[in-house]
Amino acid sequence: MLIIKNLRKEFKNVVAVDNLSFSIEKGKIFGLLGPNGAGKTTTIRVILNIIKPSSGEVTFNGEVIDKKYYDIIGYLPEERGLYRNQRVIDVILYFASLKNLSRHEALTKANYWLDRMGMQKYSSKRVRELSKGSQQKVQFITAVLHNPELLILDEPFTGFDPINQQLIKEVILSFAREGRIIILSTHQMETAEKLCSDILLINEGKGVCSGSLSSIKKRFAANNVKIEFEGDASFISSLPMIESIDFYNNCAEVQLAENYQPNLFLKSLIEKITIKHFSIIEPTLNKIFIDVIKENHTNK
Amino acid sequence: MKKIFAVARWEFVEKIKTRTFLISLIISPLIIILFTIGGQLISSQENDYTKTIGVIDTSGIYFFPLKTKTEQYTIDNQQPAYMVVNLAKKNQPIDKLLAASDSLIIRGVINGVLHIKNSGTDSVSAEFRSKAAANFKDVRRLEQAYNEITTIIALERAGINPELINKITSASNIVQVQISEAGEEKKTDFITTFFSSIIFILMLMTLVISSGGMLIRSLVEEKSNKLIDIIISSCTPDELLAGKIFGLSLLGFVQILIWAVIGILLTNSALISADIFSNIFMILIFFVLGFIFYTSLFVGIGSIVSTEQEAQQITGYLSMILVLPVILAIPAIENPDTMIVKILSYFPLTLPTIMMLRLNLGIIPSTEIALSIILMLLSIYLTIFISARIFRIGILSHGKMPSLKELIKWIKE
Repeated sequence: MLIIKNLRKEFKNVVAVDNLSFSIEKGKIFGLLGPNGAGKTTTIRVILNIIKPSSGEVTFNGEVIDKKYYDIIGYLPEERGLYRNQRVIDVILYFASLKNLSRHEALTKANYWLDRMGMQKYSSKRVRELSKGSQQKVQFITAVLHNPELLILDEPFTGFDPINQQLIKEVILSFAREGRIIILSTHQMETAEKLCSDILLINEGKGVCSGSLSSIKKRFAANNVKIEFEGDASFISSLPMIESIDFYNNCAEVQLAENYQPNLFLKSLIEKITIKHFSIIEPTLNKIFIDVIKENHTNK
Repeated sequence: MKKIFAVARWEFVEKIKTRTFLISLIISPLIIILFTIGGQLISSQENDYTKTIGVIDTSGIYFFPLKTKTEQYTIDNQQPAYMVVNLAKKNQPIDKLLAASDSLIIRGVINGVLHIKNSGTDSVSAEFRSKAAANFKDVRRLEQAYNEITTIIALERAGINPELINKITSASNIVQVQISEAGEEKKTDFITTFFSSIIFILMLMTLVISSGGMLIRSLVEEKSNKLIDIIISSCTPDELLAGKIFGLSLLGFVQILIWAVIGILLTNSALISADIFSNIFMILIFFVLGFIFYTSLFVGIGSIVSTEQEAQQITGYLSMILVLPVILAIPAIENPDTMIVKILSYFPLTLPTIMMLRLNLGIIPSTEIALSIILMLLSIYLTIFISARIFRIGILSHGKMPSLKELIKWIKE
């Protein structure tokens, strides 16, 4: 279990992370979300022990994270780059040696991962000769080669084509199944929605929304329904329980008054128009993200 | 410790394959060979033809003894090195004589003219007139002959027995021998000292500049693409720093080793005088200490830059500090005991090079050597300590270089 407690980090006159707390259980993929400059990378750097927090602490299985945890952490930074003039296999082996793997062990694992990523043929090529996508795969290998207990991935999918995105997704899911902790920092809300079981949304260094994905969705579920119909539906906008309505061609998205039963709304419709489809809309993570951040700004 | 080796191994293997390393490996010995062989050729080469020297001596006392004394020197093919001709003519005013001889020099008929003024009086003096600045050796020989003759004339005038005069003046040259407290002795020769000292300073310079440059470039690469974040989430900045210094030092030693082999081969083939290597052991100690010191300094300072341009700028400044001892070399050799040289040999930035110079110049008391070694070790320790502090923050900072005030804050943190 990774626990971050009352984390605060100040730079000169800026508070990058302000009293942030969260915890991640084994086998969970944790989505660390937030707009640019929210403090995601700073939080990650503190967890990685790259920078010291101004206050607060990070513990892993009850112990404060320090240098003895280096070998069980894997990290893929958002900005990609490798030693461009070196051979792929040499670069992989170097990072493996920094994780305390023996040369023999590292070589076996490097070959396994190069195979799994379809990169075996590039093994002796120089990094600069590879396409951008292939370079990223090499970097991904360096992050996972030593089988980390804690894997931190910053925007792991950018720059990959759909096939490779799928490949990476499978690896991440297999790591979760093996009971590892994965922190996924991303702007791609759809991906986060599909992969993450828990979410923390941060804005300006503060946690603004956290919990399991389903509980968050429940919390933000506005009383929204979607209808498809035949007939003249213009009367709906004048109904008392309607907060707002967006008409499209023969369909509409309706926001109902809080606590108003969607069933009752349906009842009031079927007498006047033919209903072909009726569903309750769950908010997307994307919408939650935008709403929360906007609200946060208007509150200021 | 294992991670320090991992970093060191990477730094070593990665850099030994680079073009920069190969270039510095080849270019440095080339410079050194040019310096030594070139220097020896220039200083000791005999003229390859007989030079004609005119003499203007209105009294006529000097001409014949001068001719005898200078024509005894020979060149390679046993021909005389000089032919001395009398340019003084009776009843000609001196300015006319000079004008005529000058025109002979300009037309290349003769190589130079020795003009003896007020010959036969007590205020006698001499000047040598030639087209270009005269060869040092030629002038020295003429000077010697002139002085001997002047002495003999003075002694004869004083009524001294010619036989006694002969005895007095047949004294040979003085060979310089330096004696130390331990009773060692060494012969000194400006040229050999100069070149042998310069060789080691140049070697240290090229080594530090080339490996320091490589170090800074690789740091810039690691910083610019956030590789550094991956690295220091795998090992501590101190381990990274130690690994880098260790790897680079190893690289330096390989280079020294290869140069040493070249040096030994050249000495055996008699291209380089063995005198150059007479203090090799002590010189190597200062060389190695100097190398580690400068490398540690480069690591610390190198960590604050984040672009290639800044890296070049910083390498430029550091190189200037390294060149300083070369500029100081000549005055220091001429006067090794001056205060400034002594002070500079206790100043860590110049200590290794100045000590390498002084070791060749004379015998330094062993207490002084021990003191400077201790001082150097302390400086290395302190530099690594300060560099590590700067490094820790420097590798994570981007954008503009920190001010001195910020740097001091980093060190105190």
